[in-house]
Amino acid sequence: MTNDVIIHDVVVVGAGLAGTWAAMTAAENGVKDVAILSKIHPLRSHSGAAQGGIAAVLNNVRPVAGTGPRGPLEQIPPGEDPVDSFDLHMFDTIKGSDWLGDQDAIEILVKDAPDVVVQYEHMGCVFSRTPDGRIAQRRFGGHSAPRANFSADRTGLVLLHTIHEQALYHNVKFYSEWYVMDLIIEDNIARGVVAINVLTGKIQMIRAKAVMFGTGGYGQAYKVTSNAYANTGDGVAMAYDAGAPLMDMEFVQFHPTGLYRHGFLMTEACRGEGGYLINKDGDRFMSKYAPEKMELAPRDLVSRSEQTEINEGRGVMEDGQGLFLDMRHLGREKIMERLPEVRDLAIAFAHVDAIDEPVPIQPTAHYSMGGIPTTADGEVLANAKGDLVTGFFAAGEVACVSVHGANRLGTNSLLEASVFGRRAGHAIADFVKGGAKLYPVTSDPVKRNHQQVQQLFDNDGPELVEDIVQELKTTMTNKAGIYRNEEDLKSALDTIHRLQQRFKNIRVMDKSSRFNTNLSMTLEAKHLLTFSEVIVQGALNRTESRGAHSRTDHPKRDDESWLKHTMAHKGEDGRPQLSYKDVTLYWDRFPPQERKY
Amino acid sequence: MSNDNTQRTVTVSIQRFDPDVDKKPHMQDYQVEMTKGMTILDALHEIKTHQDGSVTYRRSCRHGICGSCAMLINGRNTLACKTPLIDEVGHKNRVTLGPLPYLPIIKDMVVDRTTFWEQYLRVKPWLIPPDDIPEKEFRMSKEEVNALHDAESCIMCGACYSSCTVIGLNKHYVGPHALLKAFMRVMDPRDEAPGQRLADLDGADGVYRCHTVFNCIDACPKGLNPTQAIETLRKLAQKRKKFETTRRKRQQHLHEPIPAK
Repeated sequence: MTNDVIIHDVVVVGAGLAGTWAAMTAAENGVKDVAILSKIHPLRSHSGAAQGGIAAVLNNVRPVAGTGPRGPLEQIPPGEDPVDSFDLHMFDTIKGSDWLGDQDAIEILVKDAPDVVVQYEHMGCVFSRTPDGRIAQRRFGGHSAPRANFSADRTGLVLLHTIHEQALYHNVKFYSEWYVMDLIIEDNIARGVVAINVLTGKIQMIRAKAVMFGTGGYGQAYKVTSNAYANTGDGVAMAYDAGAPLMDMEFVQFHPTGLYRHGFLMTEACRGEGGYLINKDGDRFMSKYAPEKMELAPRDLVSRSEQTEINEGRGVMEDGQGLFLDMRHLGREKIMERLPEVRDLAIAFAHVDAIDEPVPIQPTAHYSMGGIPTTADGEVLANAKGDLVTGFFAAGEVACVSVHGANRLGTNSLLEASVFGRRAGHAIADFVKGGAKLYPVTSDPVKRNHQQVQQLFDNDGPELVEDIVQELKTTMTNKAGIYRNEEDLKSALDTIHRLQQRFKNIRVMDKSSRFNTNLSMTLEAKHLLTFSEVIVQGALNRTESRGAHSRTDHPKRDDESWLKHTMAHKGEDGRPQLSYKDVTLYWDRFPPQERKY
Repeated sequence: MSNDNTQRTVTVSIQRFDPDVDKKPHMQDYQVEMTKGMTILDALHEIKTHQDGSVTYRRSCRHGICGSCAMLINGRNTLACKTPLIDEVGHKNRVTLGPLPYLPIIKDMVVDRTTFWEQYLRVKPWLIPPDDIPEKEFRMSKEEVNALHDAESCIMCGACYSSCTVIGLNKHYVGPHALLKAFMRVMDPRDEAPGQRLADLDGADGVYRCHTVFNCIDACPKGLNPTQAIETLRKLAQKRKKFETTRRKRQQHLHEPIPAK
């Protein structure tokens, strides 16, 4: 074994909100030696791309009486009754999740929310304000009260910068541009990771008493996606390869308003502030699908409605694959104050000024509801029984607590990353201070990963990585996307197995050691092929429609058979082995009911 | 699309440099089929994934919010992801790409930003809050928030920093990115230490080092104005004591509602 091993008390992988909250909180609570590894600079993390807001029941604003569900909002005068409550936020989240979210975890999410938002504010985050100086709130899809706390339409950016600054203040050590390629679990105890220092190409082992993943989601498996290039599901793939389970991977959220052809977001706040969705006939088509909530129905429902409009020939643009997001009636002033970033994006990429013209949009792969199963304190579950993997923690989009169940509500993800990142930070601090040991590593993971890289370099086969990735993305979008059926899913599974074989014949063009992003892209492609198989297998087995998982051959939700989480382990044959885990429900308070908007 | 008149072959000329093998940087040309809506970043992706995997650059979000892909495009610092290829190729059907100037090159378009981040750290980017923390949020007026909008929109891409002629000569200068961050903290009514911050920036490598060449404004892909922020910091530095007093008075009301106008 190579002797230059790096050792820390805690090593966090990923520097978005979840990872940075965990590291900062552990450091703040007395753990001196906390390090974060990130494959890109921490401030480049995808949390920063979130736009619309972070949910919390603050009761700062309310709808103006008598103006209906889309009318103006006003600050609640001191002493007057609140309009929002924890129970309401819980119910909205549970209904949004199509009853697949664990209600005990949802209760924690909702009750920790005001405190975490206020902590952001105290740390210097710049929120938009009400006239009397409180944090401003707006409406969001699936939420029955205005509880999206925001900073114009760059909420994620300001939250990310704020928490990063705090981590620096608390002396968290950052390893920027270190690509973690392997998780070391031996005898069900996490012992560290293996990473490439991208600058030098050197492969090193980093040992720690606690390993935490905050590596984000897996939207890059889809062709049209809001996700950054970085969101290749490295964390889920590494955990799965190391023997940890993955939960509810088949639930992938499609956001209704990706910019046409580009896929990145026109925030849901465009609709929260009053924007319309219209088809080629100029109709606000949501009146057919969600007459009450209209454009502010949950994302799964709106995206399906859009896809139906497109499939039935009422789409716009030359290929008919788009629809229009119309914000003209909001007026220049409101757009400039509340939605300046998205206006700028539409001008830059679609040559359309939202003040004067409707913006072409289409559904886009957006959020990974599934991930590494954890407790509400970020401890990773080893199996459906609830045993833990010692010393392994996860939070944020890579994790599955599960608070989002089958479909996440907008603004609940910044909240989830913050709340459960912070909780994981406390749990890690307790774990380390409670006498956690630095377990020895008995195998030689550095050698193993060296050999893997050398094999990729030596391979020099005829296949281009990009061709494999593009075929995977097209397959996932067409056959494991918004609408699914048995035939398509079986065909997708065949394609993935074939692509996994073809991957053995790939060629890495750049074989240098210095800043080799060709190598990291190749390893990322391998991760895409690994977890996509789990998505499709889970979707194939789940013969019902629930939340974002919509089977045209099984169009109804089936609580009798499927009110349960999918758990996937990597089997000895390398294929996913599925088992199932009960959902935690408060039967007296929030029993399953029909989901209508 | 067959009727698409943008579709043609263009030349992407890239400055290549790997210090492990090259003595000095050299230009290398690549041919790319330009498709509708293609950005500079899309063209780079096409080259990297199909022609030459060793072409190296940073990128992530694809829509101008992560700040990874700032580079030199036809002699101008900007984000590759937000720049349409068609706007840059002109009649010669050619675009030239290189790394951000004034920074050590790691490989091709990837530059060493160590100093950039050190200067960011030097201004203590975190809020220094008052001792008296309310149970709920501090109260801030819309005007106070608006004054911070520019600074909080900064994505730390470095386009301004590496267009600054002062940085070209003097790496000790704090730089427009860090001064914009310092401005954000100085102007924030919740920050308790604007006086100390202004004193720290008052030295030779601080606010007076800016020569108001305005390159940073031209370079900023978010349309921000670091020069104006630096000007404001200069003025405040001159009346630091008075500004501190004003801040202390303001902080006595941070727990109270903003009065109606």
